[in-house]
Amino acid sequence: MAEPQPPTIHEGATDDIETTTKPPASAEDRKAAAALSNLDSSSADNNDSAQVDKAAATNALNSVSEKKALVEVPAKSKVKVDAGDVALLVAELEVTKARATELLKQHDGDAVKTIRAFLQPAF
Amino acid sequence: MDIRLLHPSDIPLIQHANLENLPENYFLKYYLYHALSWPQLSFVAVDVSRPAKTPYDYPKIVGYVLAKMEEEPADGVQHGHITSLSVMRTHRRLGIAEKLMRQSQQAMVETFGARYVSLHVRVSNQAAIHLYRNTLKFETEKTEAKYYADGEDAFCMKLDLDFIKQQIKEAEGEEDEDGKKKSKKATNGSVESEDQDEGEPVGDVGRDPEADKKIKVKVGRGLGVGELVERDESKH
Amino acid sequence: MPQVLSTKEANLFRQVIRDYEEKRYRAGLKAAEQILKRNPKHGDTMSMKALIMNAQGKTEEAFNLAKEALKVDFKSHICWHVYGILYRTNKNFEEAIKAYKFALKLEPESQQIQRDLAILQVQTRDYEGYVQSRFAMLKARPQLRQNWTALAIAHHLEGNLQEAERILTTYEKSVSAVPAKTDFENSEALLYKNSIIAEQGETERALEHLEQECKKCLDRLAVMELRARYLAKLGRKEEAETAYRALIDRNPDHTDYYKRLVEVLDLTADDEAAQKAIFDEYSAKYPRSDAARRLPLDFLTGDEFRSAAKAYLTLMFNKGVPSTFANLKHLYSDSYKKETLPSLAEEYLQEVKNSNAEASSDSSKGEGAALFFLAQHYNYYMSRDLAKALEYVEKAIQLDPKSVDFQMTKARIYKHQGDIAKAAEAMDQARLLDTKDRYINTKAAKYQLRNNENEKALNTLGLFTRAETVGGPLADLIDMQAMWFLTEDGEAWQRRGNVALALKRYHTVFNIFDIWQEDQFDFHSFSLRKGQIRAYMDMIRWEDKLREHPFYFRAALDAVNLYLSMYDKPEGLNGANGNNANGDDAAEKKKAAKKAKKEAQKAEKEAAERAAKQNPNKAQKDKEEEVKKKDDDPNGVKLAETKDPLGDAMKFLEPLLQFSPKNIEGQIAGFEVYIRRKKYLLAAKCLKAAQVLDKDHPKVQELAATMQKTIGDVLESLPPKVQEVLKAEFA
Repeated sequence: MAEPQPPTIHEGATDDIETTTKPPASAEDRKAAAALSNLDSSSADNNDSAQVDKAAATNALNSVSEKKALVEVPAKSKVKVDAGDVALLVAELEVTKARATELLKQHDGDAVKTIRAFLQPAF
Repeated sequence: MDIRLLHPSDIPLIQHANLENLPENYFLKYYLYHALSWPQLSFVAVDVSRPAKTPYDYPKIVGYVLAKMEEEPADGVQHGHITSLSVMRTHRRLGIAEKLMRQSQQAMVETFGARYVSLHVRVSNQAAIHLYRNTLKFETEKTEAKYYADGEDAFCMKLDLDFIKQQIKEAEGEEDEDGKKKSKKATNGSVESEDQDEGEPVGDVGRDPEADKKIKVKVGRGLGVGELVERDESKH
Repeated sequence: MPQVLSTKEANLFRQVIRDYEEKRYRAGLKAAEQILKRNPKHGDTMSMKALIMNAQGKTEEAFNLAKEALKVDFKSHICWHVYGILYRTNKNFEEAIKAYKFALKLEPESQQIQRDLAILQVQTRDYEGYVQSRFAMLKARPQLRQNWTALAIAHHLEGNLQEAERILTTYEKSVSAVPAKTDFENSEALLYKNSIIAEQGETERALEHLEQECKKCLDRLAVMELRARYLAKLGRKEEAETAYRALIDRNPDHTDYYKRLVEVLDLTADDEAAQKAIFDEYSAKYPRSDAARRLPLDFLTGDEFRSAAKAYLTLMFNKGVPSTFANLKHLYSDSYKKETLPSLAEEYLQEVKNSNAEASSDSSKGEGAALFFLAQHYNYYMSRDLAKALEYVEKAIQLDPKSVDFQMTKARIYKHQGDIAKAAEAMDQARLLDTKDRYINTKAAKYQLRNNENEKALNTLGLFTRAETVGGPLADLIDMQAMWFLTEDGEAWQRRGNVALALKRYHTVFNIFDIWQEDQFDFHSFSLRKGQIRAYMDMIRWEDKLREHPFYFRAALDAVNLYLSMYDKPEGLNGANGNNANGDDAAEKKKAAKKAKKEAQKAEKEAAERAAKQNPNKAQKDKEEEVKKKDDDPNGVKLAETKDPLGDAMKFLEPLLQFSPKNIEGQIAGFEVYIRRKKYLLAAKCLKAAQVLDKDHPKVQELAATMQKTIGDVLESLPPKVQEVLKAEFA
């Protein structure tokens, strides 16, 4: 849980998060709450590693930028999916529209095939 | 019965064991906080003989030690602290508490350079005091009045861990000499005491954080360990 | 067009933010009001005010105000950011992500917004989005090691292990100075990378990496275990042997090490003697290791088993170890062992008698221990003879009337005899033998719940809950997330016909699981700072399947079945076993339920009063606390009045099916719900799963017949494609 940080605020501010919803009544609760309440502190993000040369890091970054995305999924968008089928799956299988579309694409838009595959036990 | 490192997936049943055994209880998140800050330090005793009731059974926890490193050591010395230790009364006399403690202490020294470990125990908890004092060689530092929520006093006990550091040095020295790994010295000590009842579990309540409200708890790296632990200058 | 603030007001605005961060809500509101008086359309201030109101629990007003703020200042990234936060705190993560993205577009340089977005993406397991965010964060600050690690984690989660490894390596190469030995972040990052290499199946390379790069890593146990594992996997048996022996030396009580050692020594299951020799070696070296003595009992047979078991039992009985039976009962699947163990116990008893040795002052040792063992043996379902069990336990109790263990077992025997009331009474007797022990208190309360004595159980538990908790023992147990209690209490209420309270308990379990899922939130950033990445990944993997846990399954199944009976018999219930309630019964049950409810309310009220008498202001501080969301249905009355029990059941059912599909009871319940909801395909899915799990299960066969009949009745009315599927599946 983090709060908005307007540009005017210096990045040393600590976000205090109260994780318990009731006042900690006893010592162990207070102790636990104290520990937990400082978990999410954006202040600690400012420890620049003294060891890391910014230039070297930026350099290294370049090799990362050139990374290829994860295995390109062959263009599924070419598969024609019928809106009626999507609606059917959404109603009968209680999946989201997005998921229904995805499933249908996986099975070449064949609704019956899709459903039958869906019905197979997952184990 | 099996002694091993605590995993996050153990936590629901650790919390359950804690709720069954002890009046000092914690939110699940607090266990996570320990498991993700000092994952090397907490151990569990698992009942491996329990037949599975469902395909999704989780290992049954019959004992655990929840340990940490003190984030802001008052004396500036890196030390470990036992937040909670408990063994089901049905699994007494197997030396579980002692075994859990020894594993934890070993890791405290190896991973975090702890110089000593501390804990709190109810002044009436004879069996636990016996375990710490006689078996594990803790010393009582002081009494903290009304430490527990029900008003009972606590002994604050402490154990110097330099003997472990010594053992590690010796083992490494042997390694270097022979040029190959020698099995490490047994870490379960040579104490031949009879398996006493570990007695009531111990729980930790902690200082009143009001006292150091102004101090922000550092959750970053354990700074300062390098200065406090003597560097092992031997040939590496 | 955002209004411009005067210098004074700009300062005031900063104050509002500080007040919010430090939870000084009233002060923050006042300051915000001051600004708004002169600048009523200052969107950012309105947003901050909304944020504060949300923190005070005034959700609806907060949202309204935040929307107003956006209307007034559509282009303010602060307004969008706040809007996102409101959604997030109210668990609408999808909308929150949208809002954050909007804010980010307006203010791409804001690291805070970027960070909030990233955390939410990993929380909702939007791996693709997380990778993008982490990449952006890395670009913004490449000199921060955390950002590299985080991107690697993102790729790892996404399934791209190669890239994850590459990121870590790229970072390592960019660093010139050698990290200090005590640099946790570095030590753990190396081991994390090692785990990624291993996960890719490249054991050889993982071992190399471990030996070269991770030599000085601070987690010694991990290094030792990984090394042993890799060596074993690579078939380097001699080295693996040395490694596992070293691990046994470090922890002679970890059973896995022995098993691996036996494996790498190529000892087959038949080679009992050779295996035994290993364990003998270690039980001599580590006389206090239970594993070294007990594990051989698993694989030994015949006379070898007998003599080893005799030695083990003698040792255990002499020491008076209460868990002896518990530790051996898994052997009972072998009938020889099931018969040998009790006969050895009898032998021991004989020997004790004949030896005329001085009875131990501790009567839980020696004779008492053996009697206890035999009592448990005859209590166990695989060797049950309850009369004998009672005999033995009584003898044991005679020896040691103060033994809690013996008395507990007596209670258990009564339970198996079917006399729940007697069992509860006996367990309470056990409790009275040690009133300072919470364990036996918990057991006694559980038995009271099994006996449907909800109020009594709460009083029992109240002996150990925190006195100052407002709302009494019940509130304390809920706060401390006592799953076992909530489930048992709910089941007891259900048996008593109190649907409202039963549902309330099950819903509370459900809500706690939500809390547990939320708990991981802070750790997405925390763990990066701590550097303990492997532990973080373990946590993520566990949270992925959080509701697989039997704690969830049991309560969820209870809830689903209760909802089913509510649907089937809306006029009144006869507990959960679905017997038809005739007129009289139903009226009586209703009366009983009402009475129970009244009693429960009375008990709660009394407990609250008790708690209130004790200084309730003890914990009050100057600092304002967040307002606890008021429970507008504390006794589940609204839950019980639902007009759509099956709809309500769905929220329990879905995770149940998703995470515990191999549990046949879940699939059965699923079928029952879906077929009533006329979702025939989903019913079919459950049925198919159940059939795979156990097609001979009588209930499953019943459901299959139901399915056939239903299909026959409704087929014509279904959409054609559905018809086609059903016909194909159930031809």
